[in-house]
Amino acid sequence: MNVLGELALWTALPVALWGAVLAFVAGARQRGDLQLSAERSIYAVFFLTVLASLGIIDAFLNDRFEYLYVASYSNRSLDTFYKVAGLWSGQRGSLLFWLLFLMLFSSIAVWSNRRQNREFMPYVVGVLASIASFFLIILLFADVNPYAKLGFTPADGQGLNPQLQNYWMTIHPPTLYLGFTAFTIPFAFAIAALLSGRLDSRWIALTRRWTLLSWFFLANGIVFGMRWAYEELGWGGWWFWDPVENASLLPWLSATALLHSIQIQENRGMLKVWNMSLVILTFLLTIFATFLTRSGLIESVHSFAQELRIAYIFLGFMSAIIGVGVVLILWRLPKLRSENQIESFLSREAAFLFNNLMLLAVLFAVWWGTMLPLFSEGFGGEKITVGPPFFNAVNIPFGLVLLALTGIGPVIAWRRASKQNLKKNFTLPVAVGVAVLAALWLAGARHGAALATFGIAAFVMTVIVVEFFKGTRARVRIEQERWPFAFLHLVARNRRRWGGYIVHAGVVIMFAGFAGNAFKAEIRQTLDPGETAEMPSPLGHSYTLTYEGLSTTLAGAAPVRNVRWQVEALLRVEKEGRPAGTLTTARRALIAQEDMPTTEVAMRSSFLEDLYVILSDVPDLRGALANDPNAQTVTFTFMVNPLVGWIWYGGMIIALGGLIGLWPDGVATRARTPVRAPARAGGPVLAGAD
Amino acid sequence: MTVIAGAVLLVAAVVFFLLHPILSGRHASLHRERDEPTEAESRRRVTLLALRDVEYDYATGKLGEEDYQALKRELAAEALVALTDAEGESSASRQDVPWLEREIVRLRGGLAAGTTCAACGSANEPGSRFCAYCGIPLDTPGSGSAPDGSAPRPEPA
Amino acid sequence: MPKNGRFLVGLVGVALVVSYLIWTGVSETMVYYLTPMELVTKVTADPTFHDVGVKVGGRVVPGSYEKRATGHSFVVHDVEDESVTFRVEYAGDLPDTFTDSPAMVVDAVVEGRFREDAVFEATTVLTKCGSRYEATPEGLAAG
Repeated sequence: MNVLGELALWTALPVALWGAVLAFVAGARQRGDLQLSAERSIYAVFFLTVLASLGIIDAFLNDRFEYLYVASYSNRSLDTFYKVAGLWSGQRGSLLFWLLFLMLFSSIAVWSNRRQNREFMPYVVGVLASIASFFLIILLFADVNPYAKLGFTPADGQGLNPQLQNYWMTIHPPTLYLGFTAFTIPFAFAIAALLSGRLDSRWIALTRRWTLLSWFFLANGIVFGMRWAYEELGWGGWWFWDPVENASLLPWLSATALLHSIQIQENRGMLKVWNMSLVILTFLLTIFATFLTRSGLIESVHSFAQELRIAYIFLGFMSAIIGVGVVLILWRLPKLRSENQIESFLSREAAFLFNNLMLLAVLFAVWWGTMLPLFSEGFGGEKITVGPPFFNAVNIPFGLVLLALTGIGPVIAWRRASKQNLKKNFTLPVAVGVAVLAALWLAGARHGAALATFGIAAFVMTVIVVEFFKGTRARVRIEQERWPFAFLHLVARNRRRWGGYIVHAGVVIMFAGFAGNAFKAEIRQTLDPGETAEMPSPLGHSYTLTYEGLSTTLAGAAPVRNVRWQVEALLRVEKEGRPAGTLTTARRALIAQEDMPTTEVAMRSSFLEDLYVILSDVPDLRGALANDPNAQTVTFTFMVNPLVGWIWYGGMIIALGGLIGLWPDGVATRARTPVRAPARAGGPVLAGAD
Repeated sequence: MTVIAGAVLLVAAVVFFLLHPILSGRHASLHRERDEPTEAESRRRVTLLALRDVEYDYATGKLGEEDYQALKRELAAEALVALTDAEGESSASRQDVPWLEREIVRLRGGLAAGTTCAACGSANEPGSRFCAYCGIPLDTPGSGSAPDGSAPRPEPA
Repeated sequence: MPKNGRFLVGLVGVALVVSYLIWTGVSETMVYYLTPMELVTKVTADPTFHDVGVKVGGRVVPGSYEKRATGHSFVVHDVEDESVTFRVEYAGDLPDTFTDSPAMVVDAVVEGRFREDAVFEATTVLTKCGSRYEATPEGLAAG
């Protein structure tokens, strides 16, 4: 199987190149037979990539340590789940994994367009096959082949970093990769539109769907990463403005901007150059993200070792993308003229445009802060870095404005909104926002940015709730439906709008979760068995934690299969005097990785806060493992993280809204062939049908 | 041995799969399919959706009366243009011009009566709850209630 | 085109605000990222540098760890020139990946200030096991 997989990988390259060349020739010479062959090459490369991936997974499952990659990221005692996930645990495999998803989406794109958008397809296939060829060339010639052999067979592998042996860390890369690779499709269609000159509104709908899909996966992937960091890195934090984190945020920001600005193009035929540029920028940023992670040019706890060869190849690719994009857009500039202008500053178009500007501002700031070490060293001789203080200082103002916009957008009409109507519609939400702010202030909360966030969040939630209410009520009146049905039909008939509002609600809740961090409390205490610590929560109540003692496990009797040793501290929890369960936090090392111990934190999550406990120090580890009664004193760090759960709830709501927006329309998008020539009259339909 | 056989089979299969269209002369289409929307038809659909949005914004109090009527007129005009473009593309015969004019008049009436289906564009009998051509439920007289519940003024003909 | 003109003004305005925020953000929060060699050189040339917050990336010297009353202590050396070393003191909890075992190659990034007594007072310590992310054939052959 492994040999077959490796052969499949080598076969894929000529096939991809064949497809790329043939597709462009087919487009230039209008040869349908060449096009069919080119489309088949996409399916073939997908099939071959699947074989290659299966070969790697097989190698992991069968402990084939003669492969450098398998030996680096697996060992005999590794859980099967993580062996399968070995496909994406490291640099080499993850490149193959990227290619796998790329080909999956390419195949879906080709298949779903076998009877539509035919004028685009030669160029689409050409672009997709070219990108596939690029990744195959890297895999095969840049010293990152997952099938590279060691030349000898070690007795056992190195195993997987224990911090990566976590559920969230396993699904985080695939989800992100789904997001990154999905965006290749809208990029291919954009290039196809530019090449073919067909720059009308038809490619917008397609672009929007794929962009939403990519955006959906990126959003989820980023949230999974945050959850992993919170659970596994053990500092109570979820985002560190680490270069690799930032790299995944950048395409998400520009995709969000695109999702909004594309509606302006759809409605008013404006911003054509802007949207084209955003599509190319977003794709560029997906490549940039993988470039940053792999080249090691910016140091990060995530990044793979510094690999200059790959760095140059990716830089070349990115330059080519920019070059091609700029040339094509300039060439087609006449066809990209706006059909209309913005009529009023008080319009949804203006609000969306402002939203775009804010998102791009954040994008630029994050990008600049991330690249600063490289630029400062390159141009100034001395390396300077910036960290969370910089990113927070710059992004918080823009974040607040963006948050406010999510509440303003829904209330403003397209084209032009009436000032009086706006004032009328804003009265209640603003009142609620101010009330919440005042209430929190009176309760003693004093953090400026956090209070602003809560106030704006309340404002936005009011807007959204009122929108749902008004829309449902309108349906109840007109359709005489009952409220629950009216609500469901309301959302179902216009998934884009209502899915969008649900996403906004999720974002708002998430931001409130972020703001809760401003009120975090932390205490560090050394305890003997039987001693108690008092952990007050910013919300007024208090936790009492009693340290019961340590339980130790040595290899063999452990519940987690590959644990070598573990020291686990048990704490009994009381909340305001009433029993509230127990918590365990441990320090442990896995078999074959005794030099990389990890700390497993304890969490007691409730709706409004997390009680988070870290076993910070076991001064006499040896003694503790030997159950020495004098070695039982340990140090804990106790934390209360207010509202942190709202980050995850918000994430789920964002996912739900995204799914609603992604759900395919029941109504056909094709014009119906008329039975006779009836009057084709279009009637305005209320609050509903798409 | 089986590995080599498998490898040869694999490569052969792939090569055959790729070359078959060229050898057998099978073609993939490179032209717009008949039932795909044209540019004008897409534009029509977008304009109708925009009309829908305007109705909704008015019903939920985001648009004042004047703006609502003005926007509705503008969009109806745009819809007409897009419609006639679409019609012009599909039938193309010069002799149809009077027929087109009749259709335009009918369209204006349809806009007011709200018996036209937003999904497929067909006209229906007044009082229909469902579109006879595509089955999608029609929303009632397309001019929605104003926030204070009063019926809007009829479309000027 | 007055409307487009206003849009352009808005665009320029936002660009100015971004630039301003980035400029002040960087100048107020930036930290030099030096190698131990560069740090020592800079401090010898300019003694006021002892008061500047810096970030230093070096490698942990095996066997140098000491548990002190003030917290943890270990020595880092410059990756290029192993003779350039200094001691680090850190009062917080060391990350899980920290070790001074001779079997591991541990890179440490410490942020803080370099005291006059040539001890680095760290406010943050980040470690990364250089050899863990990609096995070396030598490492694997050694078992």
